Amino acid sequence: MDHLTPQPRRRDPRAKSPSESSSDELAAVSAHEEAERRRASWTKGITPQRPKKSGRLYSGSESPDELAVDADEYWRSSRTRNRHRNQSPINRTDSHDDHSQGGAEGHPEDDTVDTDEEQAHDAHNWSDRSATPVAPTLPPKPDHLNYKEKFVMRGHLRGVSAVQFSPDCSMIASAGADAAVKVWDTATGRLIHTFEGHLAGISTLVWAPNGEWIATGSDDKTIRFWNVNTLKAHTKVFDGHHNYVYQIAFTPKGNILVSGSYDEAVFMWDVRRAQVMRSLPAHSDPVAGIDVVHDGTLIVSCALDGLIRIWDTHSGQCLRTLVMEDNPPATCVKFSPNGKYVLAWTLDGCIRMWSYVESRVVKTFQGHVNQKYSLSGCFGTYGPRDVNYQPPLCFAVSGSEDGSILFWDIVSKQVLQRLDAHSDPVLCVHTGTLNGKRLVVSCGLDKTVRLWEEASEDDAVSNGEANEEGLGEGASTPTPKSHSQDNTPALDADGDDAMTDAMPSAAATPAEDVTMT
Amino acid sequence: MNLSLVDPFVLAQEYPDTLTEKLSSGHATCLSFNHKGDYLASGRVDGTVVIFDIETNGVARKLQGHTRQIQSLSWSRDGRYLLTSSQDWKCILWDLKDGSRVRTVRFEAPVYIAELHPFNHLLFVASLFEDQPVLVDISSPKPVKRILPSAPLRASGEDLDPAAAAKQAAQDAKHSTCVTIFTAFGNHIIAGTSKGWINIIETQTCTTIHSMRLCNGVVILLHLASNGRDLLVNSSDRVIRTVLMPDLSQLGINLEPSAIKLQVEHKFQDVVNRLSWNHVTFSSTGEFVTATTFMNPDIYVWERSHGSLVKILEGPREELGVVEWHPSRPMVVACGLETGCIYTWSIVSPQKWSALAPDFGEVEENVEYMEAEDEFDVHPAEQVHQRRLDQEDEEPDAVTLELVKGDGDADGVEPFSLPVLLNVEDSDSGEDVVAVGPGTMRRRTPGAAKEGVNGDEKPAANGTSRGAARRRR
Repeated sequence: MDHLTPQPRRRDPRAKSPSESSSDELAAVSAHEEAERRRASWTKGITPQRPKKSGRLYSGSESPDELAVDADEYWRSSRTRNRHRNQSPINRTDSHDDHSQGGAEGHPEDDTVDTDEEQAHDAHNWSDRSATPVAPTLPPKPDHLNYKEKFVMRGHLRGVSAVQFSPDCSMIASAGADAAVKVWDTATGRLIHTFEGHLAGISTLVWAPNGEWIATGSDDKTIRFWNVNTLKAHTKVFDGHHNYVYQIAFTPKGNILVSGSYDEAVFMWDVRRAQVMRSLPAHSDPVAGIDVVHDGTLIVSCALDGLIRIWDTHSGQCLRTLVMEDNPPATCVKFSPNGKYVLAWTLDGCIRMWSYVESRVVKTFQGHVNQKYSLSGCFGTYGPRDVNYQPPLCFAVSGSEDGSILFWDIVSKQVLQRLDAHSDPVLCVHTGTLNGKRLVVSCGLDKTVRLWEEASEDDAVSNGEANEEGLGEGASTPTPKSHSQDNTPALDADGDDAMTDAMPSAAATPAEDVTMT
Repeated sequence: MNLSLVDPFVLAQEYPDTLTEKLSSGHATCLSFNHKGDYLASGRVDGTVVIFDIETNGVARKLQGHTRQIQSLSWSRDGRYLLTSSQDWKCILWDLKDGSRVRTVRFEAPVYIAELHPFNHLLFVASLFEDQPVLVDISSPKPVKRILPSAPLRASGEDLDPAAAAKQAAQDAKHSTCVTIFTAFGNHIIAGTSKGWINIIETQTCTTIHSMRLCNGVVILLHLASNGRDLLVNSSDRVIRTVLMPDLSQLGINLEPSAIKLQVEHKFQDVVNRLSWNHVTFSSTGEFVTATTFMNPDIYVWERSHGSLVKILEGPREELGVVEWHPSRPMVVACGLETGCIYTWSIVSPQKWSALAPDFGEVEENVEYMEAEDEFDVHPAEQVHQRRLDQEDEEPDAVTLELVKGDGDADGVEPFSLPVLLNVEDSDSGEDVVAVGPGTMRRRTPGAAKEGVNGDEKPAANGTSRGAARRRR
């Protein structure tokens, strides 16, 4: 019934909430404040505050309390609709006419005025919510990025499904359908080590936060750990899923690993014991994407039924469900670096940025091709480091099935750069920073891992479209000789045809790993 | 980040109500949360210290070094160092980064309680069994011990007649300090004596600046609330007292030592059954007082504004010893005296089913649904899509972190993260002690020789602990 309302649901600040809930809320707040004041009067600077208490935001303006939202918003949204009907039915029909008849009505002025008003009202609403002040005079934002190819890392025998920088970005780990995990040196592009042990293609790879371990999830239904320092596999195998492991993510402390699988389950693993400590049962389709927010309190998962669910790590309860009306299969989710938004890849060729607190889409990024594979991407920053833009300049990056990598500005949704990167679909992209250089690493079905480096500002000015040059440079990059290019026909990233029909692979690149400057 | 999504009524609940977990690794006798509240250290009767990860309820680290029952645990502010004291007459400072011992300090007597200075992890106070309490500086490998006075400060100046003075001196000599803790800034030490006196001792000079007679019994336990101004005193006269402290950091500025006054705020006691209290603690904010009772499996929770009993936590069928409150969450842990298991009480919030289905809402009563005029209008999909895209005109900030007030880093402590050891269970050798009855344990692994040793040793250790506790009363 909801799919006809063109606007996303909003809380109208002017709408009244039911009296009983508001009075309750007030009472709670005043009691809380009372206690707070009492405590503050005893307290001298040093006193550790109770985080839960002080962080409790429901009395503030920004985050509504959930009870009120659930019950109130539901009816408020209908009220909003009523208001529209009551106040401006003409306006509504006019705007329809506007589209169909090209504005051949008798009162075009009225029409425009009305719409302007509505837009202004909208804008007011928006600005109420997003607490970003208007930036003072700053140099104009760069309108393009200039990443150039640095290295092409060859060695995988089949498609590469996952790639990620180590936490300090000194190394790159990649894994793919050949069931091998390869670790590369970021500075030189050389192969450091190859871990072998999985019995089937690897779909997902993630570094432990301390940079000592790499965890990989595979179609052999297991998750394995590989030690980068000792170059040995962990003796314990994380065995418990009944089907392919699709994507995994660590909590920031590295004590919990969250995995999503083709068996429709989300497992939380106690990393130390290699045992499932909790199962989150709520998806009814393969769980394709998993991510953990930077402070570890929330988990996001998405499944091929199109549902994106936000979970409380501590209690294991579902706190929110996000869904688009026509349920395009969701194949990957990433929290933004500050954890306020969730980036979700769907197979309708869109990447949507959700504000999960308000359950609405903030931005939709388009321009890439995504109909078949689980593409994965990342957030990153750009622009001069010495200028403090408000909000900071941030891009979303993703691969595309046409072999390119796209960077979108998250405010304007403009494509900042389109790299002709790979000759086959680009499955995974991850951002990082090494020695002050912003880097992007990508991998794809063409069996290569490619490292891209942001060129300096001067280069950016001299050649805006630097893709061809970038590729030219890339031709001279060292390629490890330990693995000859072999002739295995490229099937898909996972290495089994069964999955080609669905979404073959996913990759994990937790957004909180992004090195922000 | 989850606060904006969690049910505010669950957040508003301030004390736990249900038994949720049972942690077990050996026979635990004392417990302590680190300041951040993500790890729980437990000391066992066999001298092993086990650190639990509260998030996974798994063992994060085991520290082996003591040979007798652990008496107390004290975390450094950043959570990197842990001071343990034991009945084997030793205190050990552990570095949790690699599990190594930074310092081992030997005493001439078993240690009751040792507590680290709140800001300096190389300084601690220890109260000893039938010996004088000491302030120990371990900044150099050779520890420097300074003896703290136990005798209360008498009003001096006017001349007493010699007989009274002699009597007083004799009385003073009978004082022995049972518990010593630091104040919030660590400038002073609060000591409780066997005669029911509270002494405030200046850390710098090791001299008593204030004394007060609080009760007739032995002061068993002192506990300072997180605000540093409320003191909780458990004494052997079966009364728990909360005491309001003056702001000792103002000493010499706005406050003279002579003006120090300790004011008893509440007395909690069981008037009917005259229960005595095994262990007491404040809640994270200090608004609640929690106690375990002697010969009784219940945990009492009082609130402090009126001093009324608000909750009795039930669950296990055994007497509970040490009880601790999580530093930020409404969560209580206590260890059973018989089995040595660690029980956890917290709040279980029900799953809101409306969170699972976004197009449903939970309403308290029936509401007549008003269908909107345009509710079933069909718009072309592209138009809807385009309109939606056009509305995405805000400027989201996906990078800047919002600092939550009181997030721990406020006091400039470098956060320390305990390394995640993937093979901690492999080094485990203590899981095999199981209780077979009250106060008796045996090893789980069959082995006649081991069993004999153990059968002799374990009850003995337990017996001494009971004995010590009784003597302190």
